[in-house]
Amino acid sequence: MNFDEFLRRPHPFLTGMCESHLRLLADNAREVHFTAGSRVFHEGTHAEHFYLILRGKVVLQAHSAGHSVPIQTIGSGEVLGWSWLFPPYCWHFDARAEEDTDAISFPATRLREDCEIDKTFGYALMKQVAELLIQRLQATRLKLVQAHKNEHHAALPVGG
Amino acid sequence: MDTLESTIATHPFTKDLNPRFLHLLNECATFERFGAGQQIFQESFEADRFYLIHRGRVALQTFVPATGVTTIQTVGTGEALGWSWLYPPYRWHFSAVAVEPVEAAALCARTLRDRMQENHEFGYEIALRVGQLMLERLQATRLRLLEMYGVPG
Repeated sequence: MNFDEFLRRPHPFLTGMCESHLRLLADNAREVHFTAGSRVFHEGTHAEHFYLILRGKVVLQAHSAGHSVPIQTIGSGEVLGWSWLFPPYCWHFDARAEEDTDAISFPATRLREDCEIDKTFGYALMKQVAELLIQRLQATRLKLVQAHKNEHHAALPVGG
Repeated sequence: MDTLESTIATHPFTKDLNPRFLHLLNECATFERFGAGQQIFQESFEADRFYLIHRGRVALQTFVPATGVTTIQTVGTGEALGWSWLYPPYRWHFSAVAVEPVEAAALCARTLRDRMQENHEFGYEIALRVGQLMLERLQATRLRLLEMYGVPG
C-alpha cells in the first residue's frame, strides 16, 4: 500500500509511531475485507498475518467439548492476532468475521524480519504489543476474579 | 559469580540473552528476600520494580468487595513478577504477597525503562520476552476462565 493510502486509514495502534516506521509498515500493508460469517483464521494453522481492524467485528473462538465457544470480540480500532510473533507461530483460536469487516493485514514473516533488521522499529512495535497484551491479561484476570465471585464466594484455586 | 549475577544469568527470563544485556540487567538489580506473609508490592502504588524470582512463591491478590482479598494467581521459582512498570501510569494492578520465603532479583523499573529507551536492541529483546510471557499467560487465563466458568475472556 502506498504511504498516502496507508495514512488515510488511521488506527490507534499506529498512533505515536514515527514516519520511518509507518513507511516500513505501509510497504507491507494490504487492505483486506471479510464478509460476515467468513473465516479469518483457523486454530492450529500457521499464523501468517497480523491485522488492524478498521471497521466491523471479529470473534475469537475456542473449541470446548466439541463446541465453538466465543473468547473475545475484536472490533474497530483493535488489533487481531498475536501468535504470529512467537514460536511456534500457530493460531491459538479460530477467528470469524461477525460483521462485514475491513482490516489492514501485514505478512508476519516480513514484519518479524523487519524487527530483526531494524531494532528501533522492533522495539517500537514490541513495546506497543507488550503493552496491549499486559492490559488484556490484567482485564482477563479481573474477569476470572469476577466469575469466581459470582459463582462461589470463596477462595480461588490458584496455579500457574 | 555472586548470588545476584548468577540469579539473573540462570533465570529463564534471560535464557540466550546477549551477555552485554545481562550486564545492563545486573547494573540495575538488587537481591531481595521476603519472609512468608510479607507484602512485596501493593495495588495502585508505583510499579518501581521488576522481579525475577529465584526461589519461593508469590500470590497476586486483589480486593473484591463482599469477598475480601482474593488470590488471582501464584508465581514461583523461575518466573517473572510484575509487569505494570512497563507502561504508564506505572501503577501496580494487583498486590503481591510472599506465600513462602522468597528470594528474587529486583530490577529498578525506571533504570530498565531508560536503558530500553537508550538502547533499542536491548529494548527490543526485553519487550519481546515480556510480550511472549504475557501471551502465554493470557492464553492460559482465557482457557481457565472458559473451562472453569464458561466465561469468554
